[in-house]
Amino acid sequence: MSKIILQVEGLHTVFFTRQGVVKAVDGVSFYVREGETFGIVGESGCGKTVTGLSILRLLPEPAGRIVGGKIILDGKNLLELSKKEMREYRGSMISMILQDPMTSLNPVYTIGDQIAESVRLHQNLKDDAVEKEVISALRLLKIPAPEMRLHDYPFQMSGGMRQRVVGAIAMSCHPRLLIADEPTTALDATIQAQYIALFKDVQRQTNVAIVFITHDFGVVAQMCHRVGVMYAGKIVETATTRELFKAPRHPYTSALINSVPRLDRKDNRLYSIEGQPPSMTDLPRGCRFFPRCSVARDVCREQEPGEVDIGGEHSVSCWRVS
Amino acid sequence: MSAVNVMSGKGIEGSLRRAKIFQQLTLYIPAAVLALLVLAAIFAPFLAPYSPTKTALGQRLIPPFFIEGGSTAHLLGTDTLGRDILSRVIFGARVSLSVSLLVILITSTIGTVLGIIAGYLGGRTGTVLMRVTDVSLAFPAILIAILLAVVLGPSFKTVVLAISILGWAPYARLIRGEALRLREADFVAQARIIGSSPLRIMVRHIFPNIINPLIVIATLSVGLVILTEAALSYLGAGIPPTTPSWGAMVYDGRSLIDTAWWISLFPGMAIGLVVLSGNFLGDWLRDKLDPRLRQL
Repeated sequence: MSKIILQVEGLHTVFFTRQGVVKAVDGVSFYVREGETFGIVGESGCGKTVTGLSILRLLPEPAGRIVGGKIILDGKNLLELSKKEMREYRGSMISMILQDPMTSLNPVYTIGDQIAESVRLHQNLKDDAVEKEVISALRLLKIPAPEMRLHDYPFQMSGGMRQRVVGAIAMSCHPRLLIADEPTTALDATIQAQYIALFKDVQRQTNVAIVFITHDFGVVAQMCHRVGVMYAGKIVETATTRELFKAPRHPYTSALINSVPRLDRKDNRLYSIEGQPPSMTDLPRGCRFFPRCSVARDVCREQEPGEVDIGGEHSVSCWRVS
Repeated sequence: MSAVNVMSGKGIEGSLRRAKIFQQLTLYIPAAVLALLVLAAIFAPFLAPYSPTKTALGQRLIPPFFIEGGSTAHLLGTDTLGRDILSRVIFGARVSLSVSLLVILITSTIGTVLGIIAGYLGGRTGTVLMRVTDVSLAFPAILIAILLAVVLGPSFKTVVLAISILGWAPYARLIRGEALRLREADFVAQARIIGSSPLRIMVRHIFPNIINPLIVIATLSVGLVILTEAALSYLGAGIPPTTPSWGAMVYDGRSLIDTAWWISLFPGMAIGLVVLSGNFLGDWLRDKLDPRLRQL
């Protein structure tokens, strides 16, 4: 098995708000290997994006702060780096793709300039060498006629092409880890499928580890090797994608999978989970999923379940399992 | 003719050509006007028919040549002291143009730097900077100018300093708002993701995106600066009265506006021309700097 490149241990990220302290990420642990894609799935507001931003240490300051845990990238704890060291890591070691390609490029520079900026920040190269890197980044993301497109401005490109450019910026300095925060959500379904195929190809060529944040189980099935299901700031179940779909152990995971429309079933109504996720400033005392859980027991109300490793890289936090 | 013919290739080409010609006219005419005024200011001693300060009490209040009683000896007439208006307008360009150019350079630079810092960094720095801006906006500019004139003595430098010392505040306010908006933009987040430092983000990513509003208020403030300079001259806190300036001339003619209107009109027209040309050039520059419009 390949080497573990990212290890997140007991990550706690909080936001200080007028309503009180919000524990957006509350003890999240996972790891990603080289060349592997780890998916983080969950509803809106469960802490997926905050987890991604925490890894890059790009939380909106001063409201957001990492208050505990370790983020170990290639043997180095990112939380111990100085601001300047962290800046050097960003782009060169870790990179990120944002959700909306229409707004994540600067409208006043050509796409070539924007990729070149990233290259120049991390490598001391001459102009023609920079251009070579830019073209190879565009080529990696399969942007046709890169020598010509690099003089284009973002507004001259379609959404799908722009998201490829964003990908090219992210990959331009050959990072070891890429965090993709719902990169396909703003794209059409056909373009979405292309983009996923493209990224699998990029991963094959570069062996980059990817943390793929999404709320779409279809995308998870296509893209991810392993998945963590997040609920109210915690990862409640981690497993390989195949295992997760075949034998989900946490009631939340099974409920999520059941609420995806399927062609091979003839149900008249689509299953949906009752209720709302809990308010992050007023979490239930016991299991966080308890108020919505169909198989809850008394113990679930009183005590939070611990994480249990059930073998085969599968772990669950649920009283039913332990 | 049918509707199809109206929309045929020739019609579209024609209207495109007309649009292009219009666009070029809005560049060349104001550019030519400003260039002429600048040249007039530089070569004033050679162009002006008389000395701007020479009084001739026997030739007071002569109207411009096209009015009955006017003469071609004084094309635009003379003022209450018999000074030639044309010569004074030509010499006045020196003061008015250089004051407005200098003041705009100084105020827009200070305002932009402080505005971007306050907007992007925010926090305590931003709050302090904005409170200082608020105070500057609330302070009566004329009062501080008079104070400066008393302390430093009226001179060209005093006028520039007096208008600039509070003039940066509107820039800072506007630019801070823009920077505040851009700070949350995804492309700024993207710049952070690739490891850009705050300074780099402010210079390379925020600044180019606020040039449009900056140019608009800079060109709009040309008129304001010239008029403020005039007000200062009127109060005796401006450039010493022997040096002709447009603003001072407009004020001079105020009391005689119903009989000797030419004293105020011609320098007023000069101010109007500069302001209008400035605005047209500003529009053109804004279009030129916007990549979306550059293709047209």
